Amino acid sequence: MKKVVYWSSEEVSNWLAEEGMPEYTDSFQRLNGEDLLQLTEADFKKPPLSLVSSDNGQQLLNKIETLNIEHHIEAHKNGHANGHLIKGNDGDVGSKAKRNGMPNGFRNEMVQIHMPMPEKSHFPMEWGKTALAFIYALFCFVFTTVMISVVHERVPPKEETPPLPDKFFDIFDRVEWAFSICEINGMILVALWLIQWTLLKYKSIVGRRFFFIVGTLYLYRCITMYITTLPVPGVHFKCSPKLLGDWEAQMRRIIKMIAGGGLSITGSHTMCGDYLYSGHTVILTLTYLFIKEYSPRRFWWYHWICRFLSVVGIFCILLAHDHYTVDVVVAYYITTRLFWWYHTMANQQILKEATNTNFFSRVWWYSAFQYLEQNVSGIVPRNYQLPFPWRATPFSRNVKYTRLDT
Amino acid sequence: MEQHASDLSNEFKRSSPSGNDEGSQSQPKQSTLPNGLRKSSRKHRDYIKISVPEPKNRLPLEWWKTGIAFVYALFNLVLTTVMITVVHERVPAKETSPPLPDKFFDYVGRVEWAFSISEINGMILVGLWCCQWLFLRYKSIAARRFFFIMGTLYLYRCMTMYVTTLPVPGMHMKCAPKKDEHYIQLRMLRSERYSAKTAEEKKEISQVKQLHGDSQAKLQRILKLISGGGLSITGSHILCGDFLYSGHTVMLTLTYLFIKEYSPSRFWWYHLLCWLLSAVGVVCILLGHEHYTVDVVIAYYITTRLFWWYHTMANIQTLRSSPQNYLTRSWWNPVFWFFEKNVQTRVPCSFSWPISWPPSCFKSSCKNYSMVQNARRQ
Repeated sequence: MKKVVYWSSEEVSNWLAEEGMPEYTDSFQRLNGEDLLQLTEADFKKPPLSLVSSDNGQQLLNKIETLNIEHHIEAHKNGHANGHLIKGNDGDVGSKAKRNGMPNGFRNEMVQIHMPMPEKSHFPMEWGKTALAFIYALFCFVFTTVMISVVHERVPPKEETPPLPDKFFDIFDRVEWAFSICEINGMILVALWLIQWTLLKYKSIVGRRFFFIVGTLYLYRCITMYITTLPVPGVHFKCSPKLLGDWEAQMRRIIKMIAGGGLSITGSHTMCGDYLYSGHTVILTLTYLFIKEYSPRRFWWYHWICRFLSVVGIFCILLAHDHYTVDVVVAYYITTRLFWWYHTMANQQILKEATNTNFFSRVWWYSAFQYLEQNVSGIVPRNYQLPFPWRATPFSRNVKYTRLDT
Repeated sequence: MEQHASDLSNEFKRSSPSGNDEGSQSQPKQSTLPNGLRKSSRKHRDYIKISVPEPKNRLPLEWWKTGIAFVYALFNLVLTTVMITVVHERVPAKETSPPLPDKFFDYVGRVEWAFSISEINGMILVGLWCCQWLFLRYKSIAARRFFFIMGTLYLYRCMTMYVTTLPVPGMHMKCAPKKDEHYIQLRMLRSERYSAKTAEEKKEISQVKQLHGDSQAKLQRILKLISGGGLSITGSHILCGDFLYSGHTVMLTLTYLFIKEYSPSRFWWYHLLCWLLSAVGVVCILLGHEHYTVDVVIAYYITTRLFWWYHTMANIQTLRSSPQNYLTRSWWNPVFWFFEKNVQTRVPCSFSWPISWPPSCFKSSCKNYSMVQNARRQ
């Protein structure tokens, strides 16, 4: 572009028309570039320009100034315009370095406006983390079984150490079949939870939480079982004989227990000594808490049934004199507190950072928690989804909307 | 100004009051000054009060709530003492029920004087906490929290002690003789005949049940225990059976947590010292074979969780109004609300003299400027 000072009056009028100021065209008919540049505010106060201009010529003066800058930049094409010296050849860097003589923001060509990328999902699946949590839970289960086997060797025999005095046992006598009820209830609850879990949309996140909490509870259980060994709660117990030092037999025993899930019904719970605290109570309570948490609130009857199963199961443990009362109480306390603690931390963004007002960050598993939950922002919604694709069938056409996500 | 004094200065003409009702008027007189400028020699009645909205006090003291918390803690301490007395009668004799196998006891033999160390440490920590508490500015709030948490921990302890009675951890323990021979007999009957009882046996048992009691002696024991604070050093801890969970661990851990929380973070040497006292005290409990390991572990777990839970709820305001706050499902949540609803912010770490005295030379501070305020200026 030619410098403004060299513009002819024709070019001036062209420029005025381009810039959308045709009202000056008449008055500036004899004005060339140099005169244009010399226009000042005072000129707009006197006629004839004062009659033509509506804003005392401000707009025009601004545009003239812009022109000035453009040409100043053009004149100093060594790149000072953008504040720094740009070295190098043309075309090797992006549009910013191209010397078009324009100041920052002034471009002649088309500019691409970047659209923000669609937001990352608030609830990424991250099955890898769920797998890790599963491995952790599995490890804790196996460790617990090994620990039970170790502790079994140390349980004092019934003859030497009678059962400890327990208030519940004083009030209620033993009922033979009660423990089977407890285990059946436990199995029903676990099955219900499993079915519910497969129907959840955010399976991986919920599964991760379940595995982590269950693993940690069993880990705590290992510790309390190991450090102090309580005697058997009742003379009815049939403890298998001790295998002092026989590692192979112990290994077989461990595998048998894992295969049976540690239940008496399956005949795998023949070892004694794992009293403080009660694993059955943990499972009963935890499955109920998870069922309640991740099911719709409308299903109050479902929650009541599960709660009933859970309470009856726990009561039956005590009725069968299979655990001391303190085992059950401590198990309930630790399970509920851990569950609430974890879920409060997961639901509040403010607790996911370790500040000094956040005492929750002082638990030992905080870094594991952060790893598992850092990408989950917000409360996991209770959405449901069939695990297999549901093809449209004749009878499903009548459904106007469904609560299941496709 | 003088010329327009009576006309323009107050923008309207005031007729001067006739007669002698000078004292009752509250309207400004025809002074030579415009609105707002009055000669300072005038009396108070010329001043106009501008009411400023009171800044809402975010940390009200509310000593009466602290009183309630204190009563709660006291009640729980007494309940614990009563419970220990009751449980003492049920502890199986050392001969019939040997100490349970414990991993720590297997590795480390008993050290005689260790338990005294633990109790001395406990007393030092309690003393330090009391001194520190005296100097806190927001005494009532800190004390309320301490009493509530301690009371709840002792309440939990009552429950776990009562439901199942552990045998004595070591043959060295000297338990006072049981006052309740009849109850012993009852227990022996029960443990011998565990299965279904015949009608005759049931009759025997019910007869024995009626005989047990001896309330006066029990009351004396309770009083002795309370007066000695439950410590062996004072000779008041002669009763056995209060093993799950350990009250000594609770006090050691809780005082340390409170000391650390309510003191400036610069005093790291002080925190380290208290931590050492606490840790050594806890280890000495085990060294003295006075508690099982599981008692100590569970006590530590419950104390730390309760403390952190309570303080997180108290400090983070957004948690209180959030519907997804599962912490509100604990049974003591209404009590928590009652105590903490007017405390709007985290209790700042500021200190003041317990009695009003100008602290011109006292320059302890949590940050770079002095936080000590004259109590009179509160």
